Amino acid sequence: MISKKLAIDVLNESLSTGADYAEIFFEDSHSLSISIENGKVDTSSSTSLCGVGLRLLKENQCVYGYTNDLTKKGLLSLAASLKKSFNGERIVTVNTLEMVRCKNRNIIKKSYDDVTREEKIALIKEGTSAIEELKDPRIVRYIGGFSNSHRIVAIYNSKGKWFTRDTEFARLYYSVIAMNEKGIETGFEGPGCQEDISFFHSDKINPRKSALKAAKVALMLLDAKECPSGLMPVVIGNGWGGVLFHESCGHPLEASAVSKGLSCFTGKEGEFIASPLVSAVDDSTIPNAWGSIDIDDEGNLGTKRQLIKDGVLTDFMIDDFNGRRMSREGNGACRRQNYRYCPTSRMSNTYICNGKSTPEEIIASTKLGLYTVGFNGGSVDPSTGEFNFGCSEAYIIRDGKICEPVKGATLIGKGFEILKKIDMVANDLDLGQGICGAASGSIRTNVGQPTIRVSEVMVGGQGGELK
Amino acid sequence: MKYEKFFELAKEAGIEESQLYISRSYSLSFSLFHSEVDKYSTSTSLRIFARGIVKGKVGTASCDVWDLNKAKYLVEEIVRNAKIIENDDPAFIFEGSPKYKKISTFNKELATISIDEKMAKLHEIEQAIRNYDSRIVEVQTVQYSESENALTIMNSKGLKLVQKSNYFAYVGVALASENGQVKSGYDVFLDNDFHKFDVQKLASSIGKITVEQLGGEPCLTGKYRIVLSPDAVSSLIGAYISNADAESIQKNASLFVGKLNTKVASRKVTIEDKPLLRSIFARWFDDEGVATYNKPIIKNGVLQTYLYNLTTAAKDGVNSTGNASLGAKMSVTPFYLTMKPGKKTQEELFNEVGNGVYITDLSGLNAGLNPQSGNFSLQSTGFLIENGKRGRPLDLITVSGNLLTLFNDISTVGSDVKCFGDGVSCPSVIVKKLSITGK
Repeated sequence: MISKKLAIDVLNESLSTGADYAEIFFEDSHSLSISIENGKVDTSSSTSLCGVGLRLLKENQCVYGYTNDLTKKGLLSLAASLKKSFNGERIVTVNTLEMVRCKNRNIIKKSYDDVTREEKIALIKEGTSAIEELKDPRIVRYIGGFSNSHRIVAIYNSKGKWFTRDTEFARLYYSVIAMNEKGIETGFEGPGCQEDISFFHSDKINPRKSALKAAKVALMLLDAKECPSGLMPVVIGNGWGGVLFHESCGHPLEASAVSKGLSCFTGKEGEFIASPLVSAVDDSTIPNAWGSIDIDDEGNLGTKRQLIKDGVLTDFMIDDFNGRRMSREGNGACRRQNYRYCPTSRMSNTYICNGKSTPEEIIASTKLGLYTVGFNGGSVDPSTGEFNFGCSEAYIIRDGKICEPVKGATLIGKGFEILKKIDMVANDLDLGQGICGAASGSIRTNVGQPTIRVSEVMVGGQGGELK
Repeated sequence: MKYEKFFELAKEAGIEESQLYISRSYSLSFSLFHSEVDKYSTSTSLRIFARGIVKGKVGTASCDVWDLNKAKYLVEEIVRNAKIIENDDPAFIFEGSPKYKKISTFNKELATISIDEKMAKLHEIEQAIRNYDSRIVEVQTVQYSESENALTIMNSKGLKLVQKSNYFAYVGVALASENGQVKSGYDVFLDNDFHKFDVQKLASSIGKITVEQLGGEPCLTGKYRIVLSPDAVSSLIGAYISNADAESIQKNASLFVGKLNTKVASRKVTIEDKPLLRSIFARWFDDEGVATYNKPIIKNGVLQTYLYNLTTAAKDGVNSTGNASLGAKMSVTPFYLTMKPGKKTQEELFNEVGNGVYITDLSGLNAGLNPQSGNFSLQSTGFLIENGKRGRPLDLITVSGNLLTLFNDISTVGSDVKCFGDGVSCPSVIVKKLSITGK
């Protein structure tokens, strides 16, 4: 942490050439990653990250720099270097810094710093043992891993605010490679949380379940047929299926794209952009959820943002800086990976809300189509709305029943078209933990949705026409 | 504080041998939006990765501040991490190669060119993109960035190697619109010789890439003869060559298992790793300090070598190929992957294909390409090839296949080599057949 007095000095030095806002982001984080390969502890690696990022704003200009030199001299020198971007008179002076307090919704009962390496290894091995017990010769390589991070951040800004954030998060993952005469396939499962280690020992999430899931997918894919291609109805499973919404709609609703008119949704507030069955939120206040934050990097409190209400676009993810072009205040969405990244508007826990159908009804009412339940991720161009996402686990639906598995399915389309084609929404909302990469680095985000059906999506695959 | 202090502390803590990998960087970037600087960033930073051997096992730790506390942190964490390692991998801290072929990767002149001059070029690019075509409706961003890096490897066996490098890049992203359709396009110039940069060439390329996509619609679903652009080849070649990682081979989990000295690609395909070729990607020592050298990985379709670091090489009883790449565990990487060009121009490739599809770009590689299975199904952009000429643009199509099949199906390699920021240089190729999903 740096002293309040030094922070005030650095802020004032930064502001001396006319910047209208300055902000110091101090970070001191450490993390540990352990991996186990084919039953034996293979790697264990510790990382310490410590540095300061300094951001100056003047109207629509942003200047950012960072350093590992945390001495008074180092910080003032960074400020002196950045302030050269402006050549006006001082318009803001910081005299005092008041602490912003916020509710801590992400309480960790037992710090991961107090969990021994041996306990973490035991946790991973519960899963890898389950894979070993399968004694399946087709499994040629399996890796289990656990990583946890403890991140302490202190932010001081020229609005006279300062605050700290102390967060811990962890992820358990399993990666399985299986092989037969037809080829090689992989399976992956990686639950994560902002909770203590007991999170990984529930009925819903536990090492055995995750490891066996990864193994099941890899083995299933070995004998799966290539996915048929073309336009078809697609039922997208709950939880991780929300990556479709994340890519096709979430990114284009970030102020970084919207504010400059570079999003396909710019200027569409109040308009129907989705089927009336669709309501969606970005909620950074869910206690202990993977993407939650109590307070964002600009000192705005975490909130629940209603992005779409019954098909109508109602809000965006906004940070103060991009908000300037939109004449809007930030709504708690300003985030960054670490001090090396200039922050911007990002998602937190983003999901489509529950509807009225049941998953069973959706499957039963689909005569011929694709049912996708596992996903590798995807990407989007927010300006054109064109997105893609790859499926790791998918099945053909025939006469309302889930039938044979298929591999190699990629869904593509334009987000603003797909949203209007959602014709059924179930009531089984779930969230899936992802890492989202964009301008301000890789951050933790939850994707989520109940099971939904899109009446028509372009599916890419090598399996020919769906019959 | 001197880095040597770390080695003293390590010895005292019972770490038998140890190594530091120190990366000191300076970077600068700025971008324009509507002719105004909207973002300006600068930084100086340090990353220190430490490895140590305790009772034959390797522990690792890293930090980005250098003082006595952090040196102690690295030592303590190495010991704690090494203690729990159970694998039987032979562990090495390297005393040094007999000879290194040093090559220069630092251009002193870059720092002498003023920011004003670098900025002026950015304004010129933005204007030139706008002037390129009336259908360009927005320049999303134009950005200049430069970086200087000094990489030092030093270890308890007395090895000390330092390589300085620098580069700069200009990037532009444009948006074009016509009849309600919106398309975006970008291009990049990357080098460390500022004189090589040509504003008009980059701006025209960005303008052309963006505007040419307008009017696109899907083609019919089917199997097509394909021309892959250098961009498209560059998206696939790294994943393909990652199968040459000796660790994956030893663990029986690679497409190249048992394929050494056998055919893994068409005889038209020669792919080399050229760390010693003068380029911004050049590296004369790898991340373990082993001297690098240029080598074919695939020659006329035949797999010539796996890529080794010291540990995997010891397991196979061979020498390291100088491809070690730092991580929690030492892995491997090619430093500059180059595909040998053929003689035909891109137009001649279109002519040879007659009727087919020209793929210019592949998206969603993180989700739609599995390097291990080799399977891919990717969102693509491109053009029809009709009667030997490039035809109408294609929109929202996917191309799917398997890397092993694709590289075996390359029938002709073009002469139009392009170099990419991820250390790949390659030409266009003709692929006999690939599945395209369209309408």
